[in-house]
Amino acid sequence: MGDYAVVGKRVPRIDAVPKVTGKATYAGDLVLPGMLHGKLLRSPYAHAEIVHIDTRRAEKLPGVRAVITGKDFPGRNIGFMKKYSDRPPLALGKVRYVGEAVAAVAAEDEDTAEQALELISVEYKELPAVLTAEEAMREGAILVNEGKSRNIAAETKFLFGDVEKAFQESDYVREETFRTQRISIGFIEPHAVLASVDASGKVTFQGSKQSPYITMRHLAYGLDIPLNKIRMINPYIGGAFSGKHDAHDLDFAAVMLSQKTGRPVRIVVSQSEIIGSYRQRHSKEMWLKLGVKKDGTLVAADCRVIAEGGAYLGVGPLNIYLIGVFLNLPYRLPNIRYEAYRVYTNKPICGAVRGQSIVVCRYGFESLLDMVAGDIGVDRVDIRLKNAIRNGDRTANGMQVDTSGLTECIERVAEKVGWEESRKKKTPYRGIGFACGSLPSGSRLGGHFGALASVNILEDGTAVLHHGGTELGQGIDTIMAQMVAEVLGLRAEDVQVGIEDSDMVTLDPGMFADRATFWTGNAVKAAAEDARRQLAEVAAEALQVPVEELEFRDRQVCVRNNPEKSLAFLSVLRGAMYGLGMPIIGRGTWAARDIELPDFSTGIGNFAHGYEFIAQAVEVEVDPETGRVKVLRAVLSDDAGQPINPMLLDGQQEGGFVFTKGQALYEECIFDERGQQVNYSFMDYKMPGVMEAPEFENIHVITNDPYGPFGAKGAGEASGIPALGAIANAVHDATGVRIKELPITPEKILEGLRVQKGGK
Amino acid sequence: MSVILNLRRLPEFTYLAPKTLSEASNLLQKYQGKAKLLAGGTDLLVRMKERWVVPEYVISLNKIGDLDYIRHDEKEGLRLGALATHQTVANSSLIKEKYRLLAEACGKIAHPQVRNRGTVGGNLCNACPSADTAPPLLALEAQLKLVSSNGEKLVPLSEFMSGPFTTILKEGEILTEIQVPDLPPRAAGKYLWLSKITEIDETLVGAAVLMTVSSDGICQQVRIGLGSVDQTPIRAAKAEALLQGHKVSPKLINEAARQAAGETKPRSRPEYRREMTEVLVRRSLTQVVKELD
Amino acid sequence: MKQVITLKVNGQDHEVEIKTHRTLLEVLRETLGLMGTHEGCNRGDCGACTVLVDGDAVNSCLMLAVEAEGKDILTIEGMGKEARLHPLQQAFIDYSAFQCGYCTPGILLSAKAMLDKNPHPTVEEIKEGISGHLCRCTGYTRIVRAIQSVAEKGR
Repeated sequence: MGDYAVVGKRVPRIDAVPKVTGKATYAGDLVLPGMLHGKLLRSPYAHAEIVHIDTRRAEKLPGVRAVITGKDFPGRNIGFMKKYSDRPPLALGKVRYVGEAVAAVAAEDEDTAEQALELISVEYKELPAVLTAEEAMREGAILVNEGKSRNIAAETKFLFGDVEKAFQESDYVREETFRTQRISIGFIEPHAVLASVDASGKVTFQGSKQSPYITMRHLAYGLDIPLNKIRMINPYIGGAFSGKHDAHDLDFAAVMLSQKTGRPVRIVVSQSEIIGSYRQRHSKEMWLKLGVKKDGTLVAADCRVIAEGGAYLGVGPLNIYLIGVFLNLPYRLPNIRYEAYRVYTNKPICGAVRGQSIVVCRYGFESLLDMVAGDIGVDRVDIRLKNAIRNGDRTANGMQVDTSGLTECIERVAEKVGWEESRKKKTPYRGIGFACGSLPSGSRLGGHFGALASVNILEDGTAVLHHGGTELGQGIDTIMAQMVAEVLGLRAEDVQVGIEDSDMVTLDPGMFADRATFWTGNAVKAAAEDARRQLAEVAAEALQVPVEELEFRDRQVCVRNNPEKSLAFLSVLRGAMYGLGMPIIGRGTWAARDIELPDFSTGIGNFAHGYEFIAQAVEVEVDPETGRVKVLRAVLSDDAGQPINPMLLDGQQEGGFVFTKGQALYEECIFDERGQQVNYSFMDYKMPGVMEAPEFENIHVITNDPYGPFGAKGAGEASGIPALGAIANAVHDATGVRIKELPITPEKILEGLRVQKGGK
Repeated sequence: MSVILNLRRLPEFTYLAPKTLSEASNLLQKYQGKAKLLAGGTDLLVRMKERWVVPEYVISLNKIGDLDYIRHDEKEGLRLGALATHQTVANSSLIKEKYRLLAEACGKIAHPQVRNRGTVGGNLCNACPSADTAPPLLALEAQLKLVSSNGEKLVPLSEFMSGPFTTILKEGEILTEIQVPDLPPRAAGKYLWLSKITEIDETLVGAAVLMTVSSDGICQQVRIGLGSVDQTPIRAAKAEALLQGHKVSPKLINEAARQAAGETKPRSRPEYRREMTEVLVRRSLTQVVKELD
Repeated sequence: MKQVITLKVNGQDHEVEIKTHRTLLEVLRETLGLMGTHEGCNRGDCGACTVLVDGDAVNSCLMLAVEAEGKDILTIEGMGKEARLHPLQQAFIDYSAFQCGYCTPGILLSAKAMLDKNPHPTVEEIKEGISGHLCRCTGYTRIVRAIQSVAEKGR
C-alpha cells in the first residue's frame, strides 16, 4: 500500500456543487436556437409485417417539419459486432417487439409532435409472436428474424478439464435449476438526445450516453457518414447501468431529423417507453451441477444456460460467454463444462445490465454451493474459504489472478455479521446469507481498446484533464482528478475535468466491466506523468539535480531526502511557460496489450487484468405470516486493489447492493399474452425505495494490483454481483425455504413454508 | 389499442376555476360528460397523461375556498371538507387522537408529495378498490355530502362506490364533505395494510377495525372495513356479526379474521390477498383489544 | 387555452403567458428555464420533479401551473447558491449522498420541507420524508445519514 497524499482519501466529488445546486445540465435540459422536438411512433404489435406507412397527414399538420421511417436510413443493420448486426435504426418491413420504433417526427413544439404521431397511419399485418425461450427453440417455431435459420441467435460450448472423470471422483454431486427474470434498468434520467447538423454536414450529438464511442460508431455506420463528421459531447448523465451504450432509435432519429430539417432536434422519451421497451436483463434458465469432495473442495461444475433476450441480439454472445467464464471465479474449480443458448423472442431487446450476466451466474452458483454445504455438513463460510481463489492462481480457462483479497473479504464479512454467534443462538425467522463474486477490471473487446488522456497545466498552476471515459455518476471524474493531483503534487481541487468531447480526445471504447478506474486511470496517470516529466526537466535544471531525485508534493517540487531544496510548483511552471515559452501538456495512453480477446466460442483465455473480488453477508428477517422479507443489514466487502476514493467506493458497494436487491425481491417485467409489458411505470414496476434500504457496513480489503494505477482495480459494477445469492441464502437460513426462481415473492416463501409444514 | 405510453404532455383542455360551489356545479351540469373535477390532481392528471380520460373541460375546485376544513364537535362528530389533504388529516392531532385509524390510512397513502396534494374527497371519488381512506371511513360509517344545483343530500359511503373507479355521483353532483359520527367511549380503531410489492406502493390489502368493548370484555360494537379485496372497499359484515355481543378472545378473533377473509373477492393474487386479509384483520383486532384492555 | 399568470418562484414574481394544460414542471423548465427541476417519470412515482409549494413538497409534474398562482414556489435554484450552500447541500457533498445527481435536487427539497417542519426527526421520519423519491445509484443510506447529520447539528 502506497503512502499517498490524495489517492486513497475521501475526497468530495468534483461534480458535487453543480449536482446539489441543480446546475448540472443533462441532455434533456439542453436547448439550441431553432430547436425542434422529436417523438417516436411505436409498434403496438409484438410481431407484424409493416404493409404501409402513410405519413402524409402528419406532414401536413402545421408545425411539423419532418417525418421519417426506417426507409429513410441507408439500410444498414446495427449490432455490437459486425457479424452480429441485426437491428435497423428504425423498424424496416417488420416490427419484432411491442414498442419498436416505426417512425419519428420533428415539430416546432412537443405538443405538435405528439399530435402528429396520431396522424401517421401504419398498416400492419399481425404475425404470430414468439414470447418464451421454450416456444422459440421448438422445432418449426416462427422465426423472429426471418433471415436466420432458427431463433437461437448465439450459442456456446466450453470445456475445461475432464468433467466426466471429476464428477466420478467427487464425493458428492448435486444439480439444480434456477430461473431469473427480466428486469428493466431503472435509471431515473430518461433517454434524451440533442442532435444538430452544421452546414458542412457535421453532426454534433449531445446525448445521455454511457459509452459515446459505441454510439458514435453505430451512428457512423447506420447513417453511413465518416467518424470525423460526428462530434460526441457528453453532458451530465443521469445514471446508465449499461442501458445507455448503444445508439438507440431516438439517437438515430434525432440525427436523421436534424439532417432533414437543418435544425437541431431534441428527443426525450418517456420513462414508460424506457421501462417497457428499451434494454432489459435477459430472463434465464440455469441448470447447474456441482461436484465436491467430502470436505467441500469444489471439483467439477456442469452448467447449461438458456437466455431469452428479445428481438435483436444486442450483446447476447458476450452475455452468455460471461456466465461460462465466471464459473471459473471466484473459486478454484478445475473442471468445468458449459453450454449456453441466446434465444430470440418478440420482446424488447436484452443487453447488459449492471453486473451483466455474472449476477445471474453467481445466484445459481452461490445458492447451489449453500445447498451442497448443507448436504455434506460443511459450514457455509468454511466452504467459501476453502475454495477461494488465491494470489497467483490460474483458473481452468486460463485467467491469471495476480492478487486476490477474497479470503480476507470472506473472513471479515463473517466476523462483522456475527456468523459464529448467530449459530449458537438462532433467532426464529432471522437468517444470514453469504455470497461471493468476481469481475474483471475491464476487458479487451474487438476493435479499438486503448485509453487516452491529456493533462493541460495552466499558468496559474491548475490543470485541466481530458480523458476518454464517461462520468455516469460513478465518480470517474473525481477519481481521475485525484490521480492527476497525486502525480503532480497538487490538490484534487486544482484539477478540473473537461467535458467529454470526441473532437478533443479519443474516446474510450466504452464504459463497461469496471473498466474506467483501471484503463482510463492508467492513461490519466501516464498523462500526468508526462506533464510531470516535462516540468521535472525544467526544475532539475533550476535545482541542479538529476530528474530522478525530484518529488512533486504539496504544490512543491522538492529534492528527495533534501526537503530544504525545493521550488514552488508554480514557479517551475512559470519557468517553463514564461521563461522558456514551453506550454505543458501531458499525454498518456494505456492498454493491456498482453491479454487476450475474449473467445466467445471456447471461453479460454486471460481476457483481463485486475480481477476484483467481492464477498457479502446479508441478514434478513422474514415474517412467516405474510412472507415478507426485510433485509436488516448488509456487510459489503471488496478487493478493489488500492481504493482511489474509499467514500465513492462505499457508495458503489451500497448502490450496487440495493440495485440487485431489487431483482432479488421485487422487480420483474411482466408481459401479457400479446407480448406487451404491462408494468411499464414506476408505479407498477417496483424498484427499491428508501424504505427498502438496509443498514450497511463497508469493508475494503486493500491489495496492490501490479497493473492497476496506484494498485487499484475496478469496483462499481462488481458491487452488486453477489447480492442475489446472498439474499436467497439468507432467506433460506431464516426459513428453510430455498427459492430457485426470482424474484423471491411472499407467495413463494409462504408456499415453501406450507410444504415444509406438510412434510413434518 | 393499449400501447406503451409514448406521450409526456397532458392533452389540451379548457381550464375552469369557479369561485363558488354552485358555479362549479352549474359548469359540471353544463359540460355533462365532457368535464372532470380537479382537486389535488395526483390521480386525475396521471389518468389524463395516460389518455385514460381526456376531458374537454377541467373544473378546478381549488379556487372555491374553505373546502378543506377539519371540524369536530361532540354532537355532530367529525366534518371533513372534501379537499382536506391526506397530509393534513394524517397530521391533525384531533384525528390522530379520536379517529386514529383514519389518520393512519391517510398517512399511508403514497408518499409526502402525493399526500400534500391529494385529497380525501378525491380519493373517494376516484373509487379505486385500493383507496386507503375508504376502509377506515367505512368502519367509521361515514356519510358523504353531495351537492348539486338541486340541493344537497347525504349518502352513506357504503353505497357511494358502485364498482372499480365508478361511483353513484350524478352529473352536476360534487362531493363536498365527509361526515363521521362521534365515537362512543371505549372505542378504538386501527388501520393495518400490506402494500403490493415495496413499502411505498399501492395497497394490496387494507384492514380497518373499529371496536367498542365493555369493561367486562364484551364486544359492544365492531366494524371492519377492507380495501383492495373486492370491486370496491367493503365491510366484513359476517365477521363483525361473529364478534358483536360476544366476549372477545384470541380464538374468536381468529375466527372473525378467517370469516373476514372469506368475505373477500379479490381478482389478482386472490389466495395471497385472502390469506393476508385474515392476518391483517387478526392483527388489527388484537391490537385494538389490547389497547382497550 | 392560454392565460397570463404570475408565479412566485424563489422569491421572485414572474408574469408568464402559458397554456393552461401546462404542468408546473413544464413551466418551470420551459418557460422560466429552471432546469434543476428534473423530469423522471412524469407521473408522481419518482420524485425527481419535486419542488416546494408553500413549504410543502409536491410533484411538479402533477400540478397545473395555473394552480400554483399565488403560492410560494421554491426550486433547487432557490435553495442555496454555489457560494453559500444550504446545510443539506453541504451534507450531501460531505456524505457523498448522490452519484449521477439526477434525483438529488428533488430529494434535497423534500428533506428541506421535512426539516423545516420537524427539525429533529428520527431515522424513520427521515425515511418517510424522502419516501417519494427513487434513486437508482446510491442505495439511499448515505442520503439518510446526510440528512440526519444536519438534523443533529441543529439540535
